[in-house]
Amino acid sequence: MFERRLFFHVDWALLTAILLLAGIGVAMIYSTTYVTLPSGEGYAGSQVRTQLYALAIGLVALIVCLAIDYRILAEHSLFLYAGLAGLLIFVLFKGSTQFGAQRWIDLGPFNLQPSEFARLVLALMLGMYYGESRRGARNSGDLVIGGLFMLLPLLLIAKQPDLGTAVTLVPVFLGVVYLAGMRMRLLAVIALAGVLIAPIAWKFALEPYQRSRIQTFIDPSQDPRGAGYQTIQARITVGSGGLTGKGFRKGTQGQYKFLPVAHNDFIFSVLAEEKGFIGVLVALGLYLFVILRSLEAARLAKDRLGAYLVGGIIAGFSFQVIYNVAMSAGLAPVKGITLPLMSYGGSSLIATMATFGLILNVRMRRFTN
Amino acid sequence: MSSQPMQPDDRRMLTLRLGVLQYLLATVFAALAVSFWMFQVADHERFRDMARNNHMRRLPLPAPRGVLFDRNGKVLVQNQDVMNIVLFREQTKDIDDTLRILVQATGTDFAQLKETVERRRKDPSYRPIVLIENASRPQVVAVAARSLEMPGVQSQPMPARKYDGTIAAHLFGYVGEVSEAQLSRADYKDLGAGAIIGQAGVEQAYNRLLMGTEGYKAMIVNSRGREIGKPIYEQQAREGNRLQLTIDADLQKAAEDGFAHFGVVNSGKPYNGAAVVLDPRSGEVLSLVSLPAYDPNKFAVGLDAATWKSLLTDKAKPLSNRALQSTYSPGSTFKVVMATAAMEEGVATPAFRVHCPGGASFYGRWFQCHLKTGHGSLDMRHAIEKSCNTYFYTLGNMLGVDRIHKWASALGLGQVNGIDLPNELSGLVPSTEWKRREKKEKWYAGETISVAIGQGQVNVTPLSLAVMMMTVANGGTRYTPHVLKAIDKGKGWEPFAPPPPRSAVRMKNSTVKTLRDGLWLAVNGAGTAGRARIEGADVSGKTGTAQVISLTGAERARGKIDVRDHGWFVFFAPRDKPEVAGVIFAEHAEHGYYGASIAKHIIQTYYAKKHGKPLPSLVEPPPTTIVADAVAPARPRSGGN
Repeated sequence: MFERRLFFHVDWALLTAILLLAGIGVAMIYSTTYVTLPSGEGYAGSQVRTQLYALAIGLVALIVCLAIDYRILAEHSLFLYAGLAGLLIFVLFKGSTQFGAQRWIDLGPFNLQPSEFARLVLALMLGMYYGESRRGARNSGDLVIGGLFMLLPLLLIAKQPDLGTAVTLVPVFLGVVYLAGMRMRLLAVIALAGVLIAPIAWKFALEPYQRSRIQTFIDPSQDPRGAGYQTIQARITVGSGGLTGKGFRKGTQGQYKFLPVAHNDFIFSVLAEEKGFIGVLVALGLYLFVILRSLEAARLAKDRLGAYLVGGIIAGFSFQVIYNVAMSAGLAPVKGITLPLMSYGGSSLIATMATFGLILNVRMRRFTN
Repeated sequence: MSSQPMQPDDRRMLTLRLGVLQYLLATVFAALAVSFWMFQVADHERFRDMARNNHMRRLPLPAPRGVLFDRNGKVLVQNQDVMNIVLFREQTKDIDDTLRILVQATGTDFAQLKETVERRRKDPSYRPIVLIENASRPQVVAVAARSLEMPGVQSQPMPARKYDGTIAAHLFGYVGEVSEAQLSRADYKDLGAGAIIGQAGVEQAYNRLLMGTEGYKAMIVNSRGREIGKPIYEQQAREGNRLQLTIDADLQKAAEDGFAHFGVVNSGKPYNGAAVVLDPRSGEVLSLVSLPAYDPNKFAVGLDAATWKSLLTDKAKPLSNRALQSTYSPGSTFKVVMATAAMEEGVATPAFRVHCPGGASFYGRWFQCHLKTGHGSLDMRHAIEKSCNTYFYTLGNMLGVDRIHKWASALGLGQVNGIDLPNELSGLVPSTEWKRREKKEKWYAGETISVAIGQGQVNVTPLSLAVMMMTVANGGTRYTPHVLKAIDKGKGWEPFAPPPPRSAVRMKNSTVKTLRDGLWLAVNGAGTAGRARIEGADVSGKTGTAQVISLTGAERARGKIDVRDHGWFVFFAPRDKPEVAGVIFAEHAEHGYYGASIAKHIIQTYYAKKHGKPLPSLVEPPPTTIVADAVAPARPRSGGN
């Protein structure tokens, strides 16, 4: 299956960039979770080891997703989709609960978060669905069916509740249908409808805590100790980093826990604090490189399936990166959207690595039949 | 493989749309980079300061106040560390919750804590608010045990004033939190709310010298407010200057013991009143007593509302410093002024004689002498000795009120004498000008007759009578009474330059001699002050009684107020080269000669110290119930008095 010549078509630059980002992530997790004892000595937090294990498993997942022809994977996408739905339903009933949400399956040594794999499966599923149809996504009937594919896992994840992860499925869908030829006029209509529905959704669809989150984002000083706290602290963390940063493990905001769960959702804030604007530019540059390089893979794809698959994955990825980076500077409301590759979280890292396995896969097999 | 190959149409659209996406994403990333530039580079300093405020806490280190010493170097007032329970608002999420937990843990009153926090809400939030002053050991333990539930609540050692019980309470004064009204005044403008300042006595008068300089330390704290590592910057507090007072601790104690002892002996309970003992050669205050006293220790560790209220409403007015903040009719002690005025004005010589048949008639009215059978014929010396009213009526009539006023003023009566303690009253010696100004009336010569024996409008503070005796004793120099002797600003003792005399006259030798003889006789002859006699000490003095004037006869009838006369005794010793001069004022003692007993004990103590002999002790140890509360160790704040 894995022919020798394919090896030469692996996008080593993209892979390097991915590993660099994951490495920066591990370093930042090390920094924020470092435990200092009153005696002055200290040790690395257990999260570092977990993340390193996840990185290793992620590499395996990447290689697996690279080795098997994505077309074969796509052919089994309905099976994968059914499996995902099954796991998500299982989580709803039997999942383990942490931080007030039921998201995980307890597998003994580690917890699996199936929702993190939803983007990958959905991209495969949609890529398959639109790639195999002659029309792509040109008429609205096709759009509705694709939308339903998205909606099932989205609702299941939102029910956990994990609105942040659920929402990341939307850009995957939009990414695929955009490349699959959805009419731009329709896109404009959807955007307009969104603007019109927003106030109604504001009033009826959002929970009070969600409303207050958005309100305090707009004016954090309204509630500086409550919901506005994270937004304010995120800005302080980023802003106090300056041009060159406070130095590794020298950030005061992250080290003294003014920024909650910094190793998770706010890992980029810590990077900004300790490595400064220069560190931010490096990381943003790497992310942009990864994204553009992936788009390149989509452009080079041999078939529509490959292009749509990559498009869906990279749209979801880009959305996550942009939202999280904006949030880490207090530019977007606080939402549980992690920074792919850098944030602490085994399932997220493994799933992300796997998706990049697919992207590499598409590019690598651009010449094969 | 069943995938659909790419058609040229598809490829074109794909390339186009990917291109659009590319530029879109690149633009978004550029926008993000610009945003980070704004925060991290353009606006960096603001955020840097905010981050510092987050994790650096400035902890004020309160300065101990300067120690007070007596004239012989004995420690009078010092400091002790007490534990305060304080609140750092910046670490507290919900102040009400925190206070509720604290109330539970320490058994305090929620409303009171809340009020304290409210009052200080304008302070910077890093500044600790003292919630419980002088916390008890169980309270400190309880707070430590529940510290996780109430971040921001901590125990802090705090230097507090430590006084030796109630001794010299009014002289030392007390300390307390600066009030809002005080903060708006120029002299306290630089202080923060919660600053401890002197609120009375020496503590107030020399507050600036005593206060010292607050230090602070900068600590790193985490988001829970826990201090991490060592202070990154520390500036030690500088203790206030040490002050040496002119007070002699032993004389002070002798005086206070005297009031307690002779009060119990003569009337069954300790006397209230006042005493001032001066060095007539310099105006140094050797002792200053006002009774009943309060316990300044209670103020030092934060006075609760109930105790404060009871002090304010107590009919015995324990907060008032009777020695300089109350005025009384001087009674017969005023005769010293009359004699001085008459001889200095040349109205009468020492040999001037008056016949006393038990009173005399002036302006159609009969004025009684206290001895109804009459003193017979008396010269100046014996008139003083026997305190003959008739003699002094006569002098008063010859002098007129304005010359009496002139000499009373020269001797310090009806004047502010400028002691370095707050709120001294002047008292009043009338004059024709005064009556015209204040009452818009003419002075009647008949009024002068009452003034001549220290009654009528005459009102004096005990301090001013002490000044009068000092001035007479030294021949006319009215030194400014003062309590500060030396200052140690950290480089050894520097003598305090006493203020210049308020006024000085050169009294004739004959006047001085006659006064000394008359006053000596009053103690050592047939006078009223025999109880002050000390073999070889030549105590000279004069008793007096001040009538208690009741506003309504009804009150008097119902026995609501004590109508027994106050007793005065003014003195100096020894007669020829006076080293001490002073006044004893014993409330409701009925006779001045009870005050003489107290003076005797003081003067004996003075000589015993001077000659290195053991100090005299009063025969029966008196019960020590001068005030309701003696030395008070920590007591729960809720307790009243």
